[in-house]
Amino acid sequence: MRYDAAIIGAGADGLAAAIMLARKGLKTVVIERGDHPGGLLSTLEFHPGFRASPYADEIAAVPPRIHWALDLARRGAIFAPAPSSLAVWPNRHHLVSESGSSPAASLLDAFAGVRADIVARVRKQAGRSQGGMFSPARRQPAEPWPGEPWTARSLHALLANALADEDAAAHLAALALCGRSADPFLRGSGLHALAPGSGHSGVVMGGLGRLADALVRGAEDAGAEIRFGLDASDLRLDNGRIAGVALVDGSELETRNAISTLDLKRTFLSLFPWQALPRKLIARVGAFRMAGAAARVLFALKSPPAFTEPELLRGPIHAAPAFSQFAEANLAWRSGGIAGELPVTLRIVSAADPSLAPPGSAVMTATIGAVPFRLFDGAWTKEKRDILRDRAIAAAELVFPGVTGLVIAAEVITPNDMDDALGATEGDVWGGEIAADQMLDLRPWADPGAPRTAIRGLYLAGPSSPLGPIATCAAGVLAAEAVMADFNLAPER
Amino acid sequence: MKTPDTYDALVIGGGVNGLTAAAYLARGGKRTLLVEARETLGGLCETADLGDGGLAPMVAHTLYALDPRVTSELRLTRYGLKFALRDATIALLKDATHHLVLPRDIRAAARNIAACSKADAEAWPRYHSALFALGRSMRALWWEAGGKPAPNRLIEQIARTGTGAWLDSWFESDPLKALLAFDASALSPLDAGSALLLAWRAAQEMCGLQASVAFPAGGPGALSLALAKACEAAAVEIRTSCGVAELVIDGDRNCGARLHTGDLVTAPLVLSSLSRRTTLVELARGAGLGLAEQSAAGDAPEIAAAKVLLALDTIPDGASLSGLLKGRLILAERLENYSAAHADARAGRIPDDLLMEVTFPTIADPSLGSKGRHIASVLVRPVPRDVAGGWEASKTAFAAKVVSRLNSRIPGLVDHVVAIDVLTPDVLHSRYGAEPDTVDVSRMMADWPARVETAIGGLYLCGADADVAPAVSGRPGRIAATLAIAAAGSR
Repeated sequence: MRYDAAIIGAGADGLAAAIMLARKGLKTVVIERGDHPGGLLSTLEFHPGFRASPYADEIAAVPPRIHWALDLARRGAIFAPAPSSLAVWPNRHHLVSESGSSPAASLLDAFAGVRADIVARVRKQAGRSQGGMFSPARRQPAEPWPGEPWTARSLHALLANALADEDAAAHLAALALCGRSADPFLRGSGLHALAPGSGHSGVVMGGLGRLADALVRGAEDAGAEIRFGLDASDLRLDNGRIAGVALVDGSELETRNAISTLDLKRTFLSLFPWQALPRKLIARVGAFRMAGAAARVLFALKSPPAFTEPELLRGPIHAAPAFSQFAEANLAWRSGGIAGELPVTLRIVSAADPSLAPPGSAVMTATIGAVPFRLFDGAWTKEKRDILRDRAIAAAELVFPGVTGLVIAAEVITPNDMDDALGATEGDVWGGEIAADQMLDLRPWADPGAPRTAIRGLYLAGPSSPLGPIATCAAGVLAAEAVMADFNLAPER
Repeated sequence: MKTPDTYDALVIGGGVNGLTAAAYLARGGKRTLLVEARETLGGLCETADLGDGGLAPMVAHTLYALDPRVTSELRLTRYGLKFALRDATIALLKDATHHLVLPRDIRAAARNIAACSKADAEAWPRYHSALFALGRSMRALWWEAGGKPAPNRLIEQIARTGTGAWLDSWFESDPLKALLAFDASALSPLDAGSALLLAWRAAQEMCGLQASVAFPAGGPGALSLALAKACEAAAVEIRTSCGVAELVIDGDRNCGARLHTGDLVTAPLVLSSLSRRTTLVELARGAGLGLAEQSAAGDAPEIAAAKVLLALDTIPDGASLSGLLKGRLILAERLENYSAAHADARAGRIPDDLLMEVTFPTIADPSLGSKGRHIASVLVRPVPRDVAGGWEASKTAFAAKVVSRLNSRIPGLVDHVVAIDVLTPDVLHSRYGAEPDTVDVSRMMADWPARVETAIGGLYLCGADADVAPAVSGRPGRIAATLAIAAAGSR
């Protein structure tokens, strides 16, 4: 079977790319290793009658122009204004409402503005150059990257200087570091302000699954083929150009254009025999650092926990965030240990989407940061997974006293499970450690040639690509645009 | 009250940079007064008697950044500056019997590295030339007062890379990386831009050698003595035991200083060799500096270094250390020690695995020892600026930790200690008025006027923290004096 383009992975980026390409009349196939679409957006049943998004509750926003270009709203994916976020300490709390005019809300606005600038700039640059990511010919862009000032600052300095209120600063740090691990005192940690949680995150009415459904229908309507249970084993090269996708079952899809939505390491280190790639490329990709740190605990609750202001249950609730806690947890994480205190963010996801739980009951998720992929003392055994569950329950008790009695079932997802389920190296769903050198040099975000790569015919979308962790769908659209541009130019077709 | 004394220039602080600035100002025709709060000149470059144990380099114990132009232009050699050792080796003490020694000779170093890793031995010559090439291309930026940061992609890249990622990209073996990381340990190896510190070290030229480390004959105090003689020859007036209470500011111009004695000194040029923070926040408190200038002065540092001096009746030789004792010895296991120690220090805890640089100045320079005694000079970095519970309470335990860690590498050492002095960050502050070194990567990339000039006209900074990175270099003194003379001439 011969295709104009093959897309590896049926997550948001892959499906968005498929919509764009199929609409242009290109014969497009999306191959997905699993049996369901959505990737990070998946919603699965974890206990009879109870469903949740196992890997994340929050994604980076879909840039408005892309949202409308993909025609997602008409297919039921509607973005809600970001709900208020609450931080709770033993005897006080702090609330940030993004529609408000507090200094914290303005700061989140500013963060979101920088992300929008990055999206706009990377899009402007793409398609301008025939060079590619990691190709020797790439040039440094003349304009500074919009996030550049953050590369020189610590997250603590960035927040504490802007906000007089210490609780507000710690709260915003929790938004930025939810499900991550970073020492907020280190120079360069300011880049975490790029995190989807810090301002205008993508909240889909009715849950993330709605977005996945809309994307699937969009791709099918446009005429793209989505094939499940197909696992790519190798990208076959012919004269240095992509010639086909070999599958684990031994068959092969013939295509001269492939878009990988896997991360950098998976794409280059596991889809190619190493001797087929330049040594420098292998070394560079090898030096790229992954930083998987998120664990999730999904709770089936008998009934929603009692809370004074039920409206606040629609947003994230951070359990006692503190800068020193993030720093200590990061220290333990770096050496493969579980810190004494872990950052925990709770969400009653059934408050926003009652369909997730049977009538009268509720679903609560806990996102835990600074959880190592590799433990220094061996594998993720049942006992160690229970530690995570207990930490999540302890955090929940702080916010909802008595919630322990409501728990019917709990499901723990470690960074290892994310690696297995999503193909995210070391469970890092953000596609790589957020650090100054990774952003500007190794990734690289500001590359004029992106999303093209050093391999002709291979395009990188997904979390490690320039827009991966800061905008949903954008990396896929960008890759599709590059394929289309190159298609028209390519003389061999 | 007396009528104020009037000078062309006032230099605050009689350390290496203060003395250098004063000498250049006087040579530039300015009637210069230098005031030093302590009884003796030299500041952190001091050789002093360690009670019963002979002469010890109190704070600074090696020179690696002294500007060769200061040496030649101020004729320091004529005033007695000599070097006992011009090019010290560096060695990592892995345990009591295994060491990784890096002599300057590239092939010899590579042979030693091969015992840890063949790949690292192959990478060593490439690393060496890459680092030195980088150092050379940074020279323009750091050498002259008018040096402009030339756009250089590689330097910009290093300025956002951590020491850890940088060393990981070259080498695989823990001992080598742990050894090399010490020179940049004023920052965490995870701090973006800490790799720039390594490149900066490589850019230094001592005794005509790039990136060498030297021991002055007579200890670091000998440098201060030579500089004091150069000041004397240039007719600088020096007052010791004479501290400055505050700067006298008229509008946005500095016009002198009030001394602790109450006397007023007027001078249109004031060069402060105290830290940026002390100068702008404490001495210039009358200037009503805005928030921007205050925050430019930086936050109070949380990371510091401590110094432990041991007098030994002999050095145990069971540890096959002979030949190494002349140079610098590093105690560290792996890169991760540094990031953990930084996190500990920032949280106010003394790190579990102390990272130390040890020198035995009496080996390189026997004139320092007396009665056959030796000095071990130990630089511990990072440590917290303030320990939870106070340094006074932790000092004994800290000293014990340092000695026992040394003893694990040099067995038997503990039995030969006859005297000990611990210079915690508190002591360094109370005895020398010193603040911990602060490294600001953006300031490293800035030009000289941005580091040396202040928002107050006529007030210049010439302390170690006005340098690209804090070190004994004399460069801020030289460049601040040059810029001040030029500005005064053009007014």
